[in-house]
Amino acid sequence: MPSLHELQRRFAAALFDEAGAPVSAAIRADGIDPVARLDIYRTQLHAAFERSLALAFPVIERLVGSNCFKSLAREFQAKHRSRSGDLQHIGAPFAAFLHEKFCQSPYAYFSDVAALEWAYQESMTAAAAPAFDLSALQDIDPADYAQLHFEFHPACRLFSSAYPVLDIWRANEGSSAATESIDLASGRARVLLLRPAHVVQFHLLSAASFALLAALADDLTLGAALDAAQNADAAYDLGSALRHFVTLGVLTGATLQELSGNLSASTRPR
Amino acid sequence: MYDGLTHWCGIGLRTQHHGEVLARQPAVGFMEVHSENFFARGGMQRGILEKARALYPLSLHGVGLSLGSTDRLNFVHLGELSRLVRDFKPMLVSEHLAWGSVDGRFMNELLPLPYTEEAVRHTAARVRTVQDVLGRQILMENVSSYLEFNASAMTEWEFLAALAAESGCAILLDLNNVYVNAINHGFDPYQYLNFIPSQAVHEIHLAGHSVHRIGARDVLIDTHGTAVCAAVWELYGAALERFGPVPTLIEWDTNLPALDVLIAETHKINELLRVRRAVAA
Repeated sequence: MPSLHELQRRFAAALFDEAGAPVSAAIRADGIDPVARLDIYRTQLHAAFERSLALAFPVIERLVGSNCFKSLAREFQAKHRSRSGDLQHIGAPFAAFLHEKFCQSPYAYFSDVAALEWAYQESMTAAAAPAFDLSALQDIDPADYAQLHFEFHPACRLFSSAYPVLDIWRANEGSSAATESIDLASGRARVLLLRPAHVVQFHLLSAASFALLAALADDLTLGAALDAAQNADAAYDLGSALRHFVTLGVLTGATLQELSGNLSASTRPR
Repeated sequence: MYDGLTHWCGIGLRTQHHGEVLARQPAVGFMEVHSENFFARGGMQRGILEKARALYPLSLHGVGLSLGSTDRLNFVHLGELSRLVRDFKPMLVSEHLAWGSVDGRFMNELLPLPYTEEAVRHTAARVRTVQDVLGRQILMENVSSYLEFNASAMTEWEFLAALAAESGCAILLDLNNVYVNAINHGFDPYQYLNFIPSQAVHEIHLAGHSVHRIGARDVLIDTHGTAVCAAVWELYGAALERFGPVPTLIEWDTNLPALDVLIAETHKINELLRVRRAVAA
């Protein structure tokens, strides 16, 4: 008689169609072939995985159609088995999977759409954060402002794509008709996702604003981030940009470099 | 808002009904949610649970802790559950008597255990750990199954009762699962009911199932996608006799109907309770 652990290993291998010691001999037939009994579990396993993946990637499902999505889900599941008891985590590698599969095809944009959908999922479930306490800046000498590091709202995500991913998203979300045609060569989309209260918002950013926020998100100083922004737009107005991003709730705190060691990675958008 | 009868009837709080439940505030006794759906640190989901909690007692029903698994207990998952319990102070916290992972790979299914002493000892130890971490008793639910192991040395009801005795947990008795297994494995569901210690059952689930033909046999599949069948309602009548009025959930997850259909199902529970009390008086 196999141990409980051995029985569970054989059972899992059978569900995933892997070679190894068979589990059928451990199953009471009772009028139905053990293989048919295992099939019930296998069917449920795939259906639950597909359902969860479709919940996280409704735009991809709509772009490829539900049959194609099912087969993509099966292939993805075989390569990226769930590592959590919570199915909501399974979608993390889906964009990379689509990239590998479609990067040399006319559907290369799928992976960027999926990345935007995953960023949306992350933003939707991230923690809330208090607003920026501007009085904390009063103790800092304006001469040191260039050395400031900024903290981001945990629900904030930055995403840049060579494709008009936000247009694609909006044409395919909810009940929209999806009959419009989108020119995939219509230009780069630089998207900021944020969630001030409960609802995720999308903002399209200029090249300079994206460069500024991306540099700050990389934990560079305000001075270095301004250089990055001015590379894109020599006349970039830093003052109004900072006011804008503080008002939106993107930036939630600032510290001088020597104090910034306590910034946690989780407050930095990817 | 709650009288003595509605207090016992709960419904699942599902995404499609969130807005309507909060707006209409139907007179049901409690709301049950899948714990994992509310692990998020913030956002809409959490906001909805906060609002629902202000209106109803809450039952947290976990599907992913995999307490029958031989993998190490997942303390990250347990930590998330612990945070949820601390924040929302639920009336009930339940998990499943099943396993779903091995060697770090998750199948995210409620897979059946062999009914052995080894499985009782193993699962009971993990249930005790969970109860220690949460600082409270949890309920363990019997699951539907589509196969049995040759290694089983006791019946499913003996297994469930032994787990409760050895771990100190309470039982969430899913009567649909009892019925499904009775048909699938050929036992008398009333024998099951009569073996379970009456004080151990702290919640009952009622749900629907579907029938699948495999070869010459019908197999019942637990779908939570239809109304409770007549045979399960009959079983519920017997359960009320044995266990008294315990919190009872109408559990519906797939093919979710209008909220009013769920509420109508809870009215059937009320009616059964009313009749039972009238007889008792």
